[in-house]
Amino acid sequence: MKRGLPTSYNQDTKGSAFVSGLAARVIGFGYFLKQRGFRVYQSSIQDALRSLERVDIYRKDEFFDALRANLVSSDLEWTQFSGLFDQYWTVPAEGDKGAAEPGGKDQEEGKEKKVSPKNLIEIEQEPGEKGDKGVEQGWMRKIGYSPVSGVEKADVGKFEKEDIAVAQLALKRIMGSFKTAKTRRLHKVHQKRSLMDFPKVARKSLKYGGIPMELFYKEKKKRLKRLVILADVSGSMERYARFVIPFLLGLRGIGPKAEVFVFSTSLAHVTPLVRHLDVEKALKEMVRKVPEWSGGTRIGYSLHQFNQGHGATLIDRRAVVIILSDGWDLGAKELLRREMAQLNSKAHCTIWLNPLAGDPAFEPICRGMQAALPYIDYLLPANSLESLKRVGYVLSRVMIH
Amino acid sequence: MVTGFDSVDQVMEKMAEANYIADRSLATVLFLSHRLQKPIFLEGEPGVGKTEVALVMAKIFEAELIRLQCYEGLDATTALYEWNYPKQLLYIRLQETEKGSKEEIERVLFSEQFLIRRPLLEAIVRSDLTAPVLLIDEIDRSDEEFEAFLLEVLSDFQITIPEVGTIRAKHTPHVIVTSNRTRDVHDALKRRCLYHWIDYPSFEKEYKIIMAKLPGIDGSFAEQVARFMQRLRQEDLLKRPGVSETLDWARALVEMHRDYLDEAVVMETLGCILKYQEDIQKFKEEIWGNDEKRAAYFL
Repeated sequence: MKRGLPTSYNQDTKGSAFVSGLAARVIGFGYFLKQRGFRVYQSSIQDALRSLERVDIYRKDEFFDALRANLVSSDLEWTQFSGLFDQYWTVPAEGDKGAAEPGGKDQEEGKEKKVSPKNLIEIEQEPGEKGDKGVEQGWMRKIGYSPVSGVEKADVGKFEKEDIAVAQLALKRIMGSFKTAKTRRLHKVHQKRSLMDFPKVARKSLKYGGIPMELFYKEKKKRLKRLVILADVSGSMERYARFVIPFLLGLRGIGPKAEVFVFSTSLAHVTPLVRHLDVEKALKEMVRKVPEWSGGTRIGYSLHQFNQGHGATLIDRRAVVIILSDGWDLGAKELLRREMAQLNSKAHCTIWLNPLAGDPAFEPICRGMQAALPYIDYLLPANSLESLKRVGYVLSRVMIH
Repeated sequence: MVTGFDSVDQVMEKMAEANYIADRSLATVLFLSHRLQKPIFLEGEPGVGKTEVALVMAKIFEAELIRLQCYEGLDATTALYEWNYPKQLLYIRLQETEKGSKEEIERVLFSEQFLIRRPLLEAIVRSDLTAPVLLIDEIDRSDEEFEAFLLEVLSDFQITIPEVGTIRAKHTPHVIVTSNRTRDVHDALKRRCLYHWIDYPSFEKEYKIIMAKLPGIDGSFAEQVARFMQRLRQEDLLKRPGVSETLDWARALVEMHRDYLDEAVVMETLGCILKYQEDIQKFKEEIWGNDEKRAAYFL
């Protein structure tokens, strides 16, 4: 294991040329990881270099550990690191070439990438990939092979730029309503239930010569509930999804714990895909990731999957569930009814966004809607900017506790 | 007493002396954290010994361990400092009868005497002689605002109290932040730390841990326990048992004067290792009900 450094360095182990060569390689490694979806920062790379000065870099394990401690920042990255480390550092000896240009290896990788998106889409379309782990691994794999070019190739025609802009406009107003809801409630706090505000008591007591005549209490901090979004992306929803999904994705910014799922015939957890991306990129990721985009609908079965899996831990009295669907269900009515009942009994509130409900003559006559109706707290239309504003208003009411 | 580490080997040696079986990568991270004066961010399943790392560090450096347990709603007044208002009010009333000068009252009122130190301030104040070990436990339980606030403290280890002035740490505390991953911790905080993931131990490591923590235990019995736990972790359980469960269990078995594992004793003490009713149920039905599977646990 000793002398485990790439052979290209062993020839030149003395003097500053070695140091700068290694530094360049480490920086190159930082970018190599970054391209594969790692969150690598300038400061981490600097610290990695500082760390290398302090350990015995001729021991491969110390070299490895020093880099890993600095360049990894989550468990997902932790599991990927070892493989990528080997890939980058165990280069077949090619003289000084690799050392001189840290980008050299990356360009080779670039060739691989161009081929990969196709393969990946094929892999993803296999129905077997379910559950959190699969999704997350898939995500890493994809990031691994998806520089900008890959994203552009994916089918993103479903979302128009204007739609996204409209959704973002709606969002902006809604975010505003959350702020007012937070500050407008500065009325006197129920005294018995909160803590005394000593700084204020002391301050106000000055006018009575230090006798605390008036007592003040701290206002209880307002918190936001967890938002869980379940969006129907089946064929019948296509027209609306373009408009509403960007909006829903924007909502994940509300509260710290929002989770997003999409379903058509089965459910997919997309939060890990979209967590760190802005709305536009998140959409692209989702379209690429979800196999049955624009397929048929089985709401009942999808909800069943949700209740059995993620729902068990995500849904409690502090969760607000938003379901986006038109209620056209291929699956069994009874299953939908049962799953909705379960969801409604556990969650704080369930909101159903039905694009068809915007029509004044709308009556929830389709089977799915009828079954679910008793278990919905708010049935709202979602087909115009105006209706989205209403959604925002309702949310700003139910989300705060 | 140890004042500093010179090499990774020394860290390993000291950890072993303090009865903590660490693998080399953890020792490397501790060494680097010490030399670079960067906090360590430890993640891992519950019960794999994250908190223990801080305890051991405190033992090695013979330093004070200051612990900040995070919870939802933790704010600056409970993490940093607070003025003792009731005491201040009382003091004012007392001084009124004694006719003290106003300046004097004000000076005393906002002095150390009336300051309640919370863990973060404590860590900075106590750094006069040696660097204390500051354990920020389960950071994922705190709110995001608190994280942002913590960043400020962790980056320069100084705290400004308007009435008193800025207090700066003389020796940078050894900071260990742990998380159970119930939510994502913000990048800005992670970026300032060295990351380490503590996994479930391998069979050899678990055996060593049992032997180190329970000096009286019989070697072959410890081996049997370790092997059982390794096997159990491969099952699909809600909460897989960590090392702390292994030690609890081994301790319980030793207390019961057992020196070998058999089927009856496992059933009796199942509560030591499985903490969910669903898991216990599953274990009883699927594994214990199946002769082949059950036998595999006693190989």
